Amino acid sequence: MTIKLTRRDLLASTMAGAATMALGRAALGQTRTLNALSHLVHQNVLTKGSAGDVIAPWRKAAGAEISWTTLDSNPLQDRLFREASLGQTTFNVGFVVDNRMTPQIAGLFEPLDGYQSSDPIEDIDDIAPGLRRAMTVGGKVVGIPVRHATQALFYNEALLEEAGIAAPPSTVEDLVEQAKKLTFTSAAGAPVTGMILASDLAVFPVMFARAFGGDFIGADFKVVPNREAMEKGLSVLADLFQARALPRSYANTRNDDMVTWLQQGRAAFGVLPFARYAQLNNPEQSSVPGKIKAVEFPGSATLPAGSAMAAVVESWAMVIPANSTDKDLSWSFIKAVSSKAVTLGAARNGNGPVRVSTYADAGFAAAQPLAKIESAALAKARPAFPAFPEAVRAQATFLEEVQLAVLGRKTPQEAVAAIVERVTPLMPA
Amino acid sequence: MRADRRLIGIGKAVAVAAIVLWSIFPIAFIVLSSFKPGRDIFAVPPKLLFQPTLVHYANLWERWGSFFDGLVNSLIVTAGSAVLAVAISSLAGFVYSRQKSRLLNGSIFFLIGVRLIPPIVVTLPLFPIVNWLGLNDTHLVLILLYTSFFVSLGTILMRTFIDQIPRELDEAAIIDGASRLTVLRRIILPLAAPGMLAVAVFVVVFAWNEFLFAFIFTATKAKTAPFVLSEMISSVDGVDWGVLFAAATVQLLPVLVFVMVMNRFLVAGLTAGATKG
Repeated sequence: MTIKLTRRDLLASTMAGAATMALGRAALGQTRTLNALSHLVHQNVLTKGSAGDVIAPWRKAAGAEISWTTLDSNPLQDRLFREASLGQTTFNVGFVVDNRMTPQIAGLFEPLDGYQSSDPIEDIDDIAPGLRRAMTVGGKVVGIPVRHATQALFYNEALLEEAGIAAPPSTVEDLVEQAKKLTFTSAAGAPVTGMILASDLAVFPVMFARAFGGDFIGADFKVVPNREAMEKGLSVLADLFQARALPRSYANTRNDDMVTWLQQGRAAFGVLPFARYAQLNNPEQSSVPGKIKAVEFPGSATLPAGSAMAAVVESWAMVIPANSTDKDLSWSFIKAVSSKAVTLGAARNGNGPVRVSTYADAGFAAAQPLAKIESAALAKARPAFPAFPEAVRAQATFLEEVQLAVLGRKTPQEAVAAIVERVTPLMPA
Repeated sequence: MRADRRLIGIGKAVAVAAIVLWSIFPIAFIVLSSFKPGRDIFAVPPKLLFQPTLVHYANLWERWGSFFDGLVNSLIVTAGSAVLAVAISSLAGFVYSRQKSRLLNGSIFFLIGVRLIPPIVVTLPLFPIVNWLGLNDTHLVLILLYTSFFVSLGTILMRTFIDQIPRELDEAAIIDGASRLTVLRRIILPLAAPGMLAVAVFVVVFAWNEFLFAFIFTATKAKTAPFVLSEMISSVDGVDWGVLFAAATVQLLPVLVFVMVMNRFLVAGLTAGATKG
C-alpha cells in the first residue's frame, strides 16, 4: 500500500505538530494545582462572602489553581490521615482539628519550623498562642491555626423580657436560676425549656466544670484535677434536669437539635460557638430572628479572685502531609492564608479569626456584633481536653458517666469517682 | 367463624397500615419539608398547613452545584454497575445452570460467603491498592466494587431463572447446529430477561444509594450524590434543612420511579425458585 504525501499535506501536518508543541509548552507553563483537603466552610470563607474571594491574589501570584476536596469533620480527618499514610498523596494541604493532633498523627505531617525560619508567616505571634501550642508537638510546629470556634452562651432576648429578666446571667448560679424561671409556656403558647445542651460532646459538662474552676483532663493529663469542681458542675446539670430546665430528651439531644430549638424559640439558653450567631438569627430559618444574643459563658460566683472561666475552643489548622509533592507550593498557600489581610477577609466571610489583631480592626468589629465578646473569650479559652491516642474512648466514657449523673442514676460524686477510675488508665504513659 | 375471619382481616389491615405508616412517614416528612419555609420545618406544634415554597430547590441549584454533578456521577456508576453485573451474572448463571460439577456446586458456598462479608472489612485494606493502581476517584473503581458485591447474588438469581428454561430447548437448538454461544444469545437470554431485570433492580437500588465505597474511594471527580448529601449535614457551620430535604427528594425520585416501573420484576426475582419448576 502506498501513501501519497502532497506538499499541502506536509505543510498541514507540520503546522499541526508545531501548534501541538506550542500548546504543550503552554500547558507545561500553565497553572500548578494545589489540592486541598478541607471542610466546606474553609473553602467558603476563603472564596465567598462579603469580602469575596480573598485567596485570589495568591492564586494569581503563585500561578496556581486550588482543587478543593471537602468533607465533614470526622470523614475529613479519616481521609486526611489515610492519605498521609500512603507512599505518596496528591493532596498538598490538609485541615486538622486540634484535638486530633496526637504525637502519632503529628508524625504524618511535615514539620514547619524550617519553612517558618526561611520564609516566615507575617507576625506569627499575633496568632493566638493557645491555638499555636495545640499544633506544636514534640517541640515541632506541625500545623498553622486557621480557624477557631469558641463556645458562647446564647440566649433568647425576647423570652428573657417576657419572663421579666432584665439581663442575661453574669454567674453560673444566675444562669441556673434564670433557666429554671424560663421553663414555662410562652405567651405564644409554645413550651419553653430553660436550657438546651447536646449530650454527645464533652464540651458542655467541661464548660460547667470550668465554671467552678475544674476540668475534665488538664494539660498535664491529670484526670479531673479538681474533683469538687467537677462534682459541682454535674450537680448543676442534674439539678437543671430534675427541674425540667433541661429537656426530657437530653440523652438524645445533638448539636443540630440545639440550633433548631433556639431557632424555634423552644429553648431560652444554649451553648454553641460564636460563629452560629448568624445562623440562629437567620430569618429564613429562625422563628425569632434578631432575638438570639450571646455572652461569655459565666463562671461561678465562688470562683477565686483572679481565676477566670476558660471557655472551650476548638481550632482548625493547616498541615502539609509529609508524603505530598510540591511542599513549597503548600507553604506558600499556608503563608498567604495566615496573612493579616486574608485572615481579616476570611473573618468578614464568616470565619473565626485566629489573629488577635483581627478583632481590633474597626471595620470588622463594627460588622460583627459579637467581635468584642468573642475576642475576650478567645483570650482565655482552651480546648476541651488535650490530644492523645485514646481521646475518643476517654470522651465516650466521660459522657456515659455524665449522663448517668444528669439523669439521676448516679450521684455526681459516684459519677466523678467512676470517671477518674475508668479514664485514668487511658492517659498516655 | 365469620367473626374470627373478620377480626383477623381487621388485624391484618391494622398491621399493614402501621408498617406502611412507619415506612412512609420519614419519606413524607422529608418531601413535605422540602416545600416548607425553613422556619416552619421543625415548628412546634407541627405546621400541617403551610404555604409551599420552591426556595430550597432554588438554593440547592444555586449553592450546591456539586450535588447535580454528583447525580451525574451516580447515574454513570449505577448504569455501569447494572450493565456489568447483569452481564456477568447472566453468563455465570448460565454456566451454573447448564454445567454440573462438584467444583461448581462447591463454589456456590463461596458466592454466598462473599455476600456475607461486611463491606467495611475489605474497604480499608483496598484503599492503598486502589491508590497504587491509580483508580482513586474514578467511576471505574466504584463500578467494579459494586459489581463485585452484587455479582454473587445476581449469579444465584440468574441460575434459578435459567433453571426454569427447559433444557430441551437447548438440546433442540444444538441438534439444529447452534453453538453454545448461539443458544445463550438466541434462546436463554431472551427467556431469562425477567431475571436480568430483577438483578438490574437490585444493583440499581444499591448503587444509587451507596455511600461507604463512594466516601472511601472518591474525592472530587467521581463524587456521587449520597456523598454530597453527607457534606450538607455539616457539623461545623450548621445544616440548612430545607436544602438538605430538597436534595434528598431529588435524590430519591429517580430510583423510586425506576423501582415502581420495575416492581413486578423485583417480586419475580424475590420469589424465583420458590417452587420447583
